[in-house]
Amino acid sequence: MNHDNQIYVHPAPVRIWHWINAFGFIILIFTGFQIRYADILNLLPLQNAITVHNYVGFAVIFNYFLWLIYYIGSGKIRIYIPDLRTFVSKAIKQMKYYGYGYFKGDPNPHAMTPENKFNAPQQKAYLAIMLILLPAQMISGVFLWKIKGYQDYINILGGIKVIDTIHVLLFFIFTSFIFVHCYLATLGHTPTAHFKAMFTGFEDHHEEHDEEEILENPQLN
Amino acid sequence: MKKMTKLLFTLGLATLFTYTINPASSFAIENSECLECHSDESLTKESTDNILKSDITVNLYVDEEKFNHSVHNINGITCVDCHSDIEELNYDDDLPHKEYLESVCCANCHEEEGEAFKNSVHMEILQKGITMTCYACHGYHYVMPMEAALLAERENNYCLKCHNPYQYHEWLPAQESHFAFVECIVCHAPEVSQQIHLNFVDLVTNKLYQSDEIIDILGINYNEFMPMIDANEDGKINQQEFDSLILMLRQKNVYARFHAELVAVLQPDAHQVKRGMAEKTCEKCHMADSPYFDAVFLLLTHEDGTVDHHEVERDVLESYNMSHFYLMTGTRVKLLDKIGFLLLAGGAFVVMAHFTVRILTIPVRRKRKEDKE
Repeated sequence: MNHDNQIYVHPAPVRIWHWINAFGFIILIFTGFQIRYADILNLLPLQNAITVHNYVGFAVIFNYFLWLIYYIGSGKIRIYIPDLRTFVSKAIKQMKYYGYGYFKGDPNPHAMTPENKFNAPQQKAYLAIMLILLPAQMISGVFLWKIKGYQDYINILGGIKVIDTIHVLLFFIFTSFIFVHCYLATLGHTPTAHFKAMFTGFEDHHEEHDEEEILENPQLN
Repeated sequence: MKKMTKLLFTLGLATLFTYTINPASSFAIENSECLECHSDESLTKESTDNILKSDITVNLYVDEEKFNHSVHNINGITCVDCHSDIEELNYDDDLPHKEYLESVCCANCHEEEGEAFKNSVHMEILQKGITMTCYACHGYHYVMPMEAALLAERENNYCLKCHNPYQYHEWLPAQESHFAFVECIVCHAPEVSQQIHLNFVDLVTNKLYQSDEIIDILGINYNEFMPMIDANEDGKINQQEFDSLILMLRQKNVYARFHAELVAVLQPDAHQVKRGMAEKTCEKCHMADSPYFDAVFLLLTHEDGTVDHHEVERDVLESYNMSHFYLMTGTRVKLLDKIGFLLLAGGAFVVMAHFTVRILTIPVRRKRKEDKE
């Protein structure tokens, strides 16, 4: 495979982590809905939903630590840390692009490189997700898994209903995030470019096709 | 006058009838007479163990204090009501009654319980040669009133004497939580009615408040509790009234949380524990409209052991004042569902709106590209 006009932005460990995480999230979301709405949904028996949710939850936690070790060990964690001097202006510029410039056909103000993979708002969102929201979801999930075992911690934090509220709110935030995340992934130079890159590791820049061209000639995609 | 003569005659006949039918009552033996001997801690008798056939010493001491607090004594049941084969005490003998008394049959009084027990797994084991007596679980002289008892008392004194719950519940998620908040017979005698019992716990010390402490703190009598809390006088404590109770306690520097337990109503059906009939369908409880949470009570126990059941509306279980009680699906906070819906709808809206504009503006981008070329 010729990668002359491509840049390698997603190393194998990141891609493996990403897809394990993605499938884990989808299963957690489905079983999570089943657990919370057992009176409305009947996707699978509640007992099975809980068992699957617990096992997949631990798999995602384990996966998170692989991510953390890899990113800290390789020093790549830097790509998640915004440059505070330029962050605000870059974030505004990027939001303007998504909200206006993109529709006009303006070029993306963010040029992706392995060292600067995320645009400014993406960087900030992922930083919050990976270092605050996901750990909070994992901890609250573990507490809910063994309420009696972690009773002292749960009581300190205000009770089981508080822990559940955190877990459920984050669950809705993550579910909403998945919608937006999947949609934003279609805003590459072709609608499937970012999806392909997450499998191959390479972002393809050698041919620019408008999405309407692709709609008319799917073989270009 | 004629009427009076007739009344006296009727009373006389009734008295004569009673004494003839029930001679024991004519010479009622007081508990104090029994306790003259049985309050002696060293009182024993020699007997033979049924299984090992070895000689054993049986203690015949009865702790009067403990007996006085027992449910039988509270209800005026005397020693000879159960030991009914003691008709009289002959103080001329060393042993004033016969040496071997008949076994007490609890079902003579507790008929319905006896009938329910006949259909239980505990009766079934008779086929294996194991006789399960009432007192194996309940004890005999010191049967305590259990109506308002905490789950730990209910289980430690009964099921957990013989059963190790961790041995049989591998399938059950969150075992410890279930064992801590749900009484065994709620699942194992599914026909029995259930209630949620709420108890006051000090948020700081984690100590359970006794009813008299709460009454003292509020500076009222037991019979003033509901009139003070139940503002709309519907006989139930609703969300607003519950919040007021919390506020009243806070004003007294008491930061209370509520410990909730799902317990069985003490009725004969509770004895009908059947093999293989335990409720294993999670959805029976973990449903928003599960009947298991229809009856919620705040219990206040009087000094004499009687219990006031103050009904609490089910919605209170969903409130953040009950932040230490949560049952998946069953008592979920409905407000979170609304927030969740907004979050999901917001995400979907952003995507749909952007996608729509993206489609509509294709000609703009195409034109720009053509101009560029």
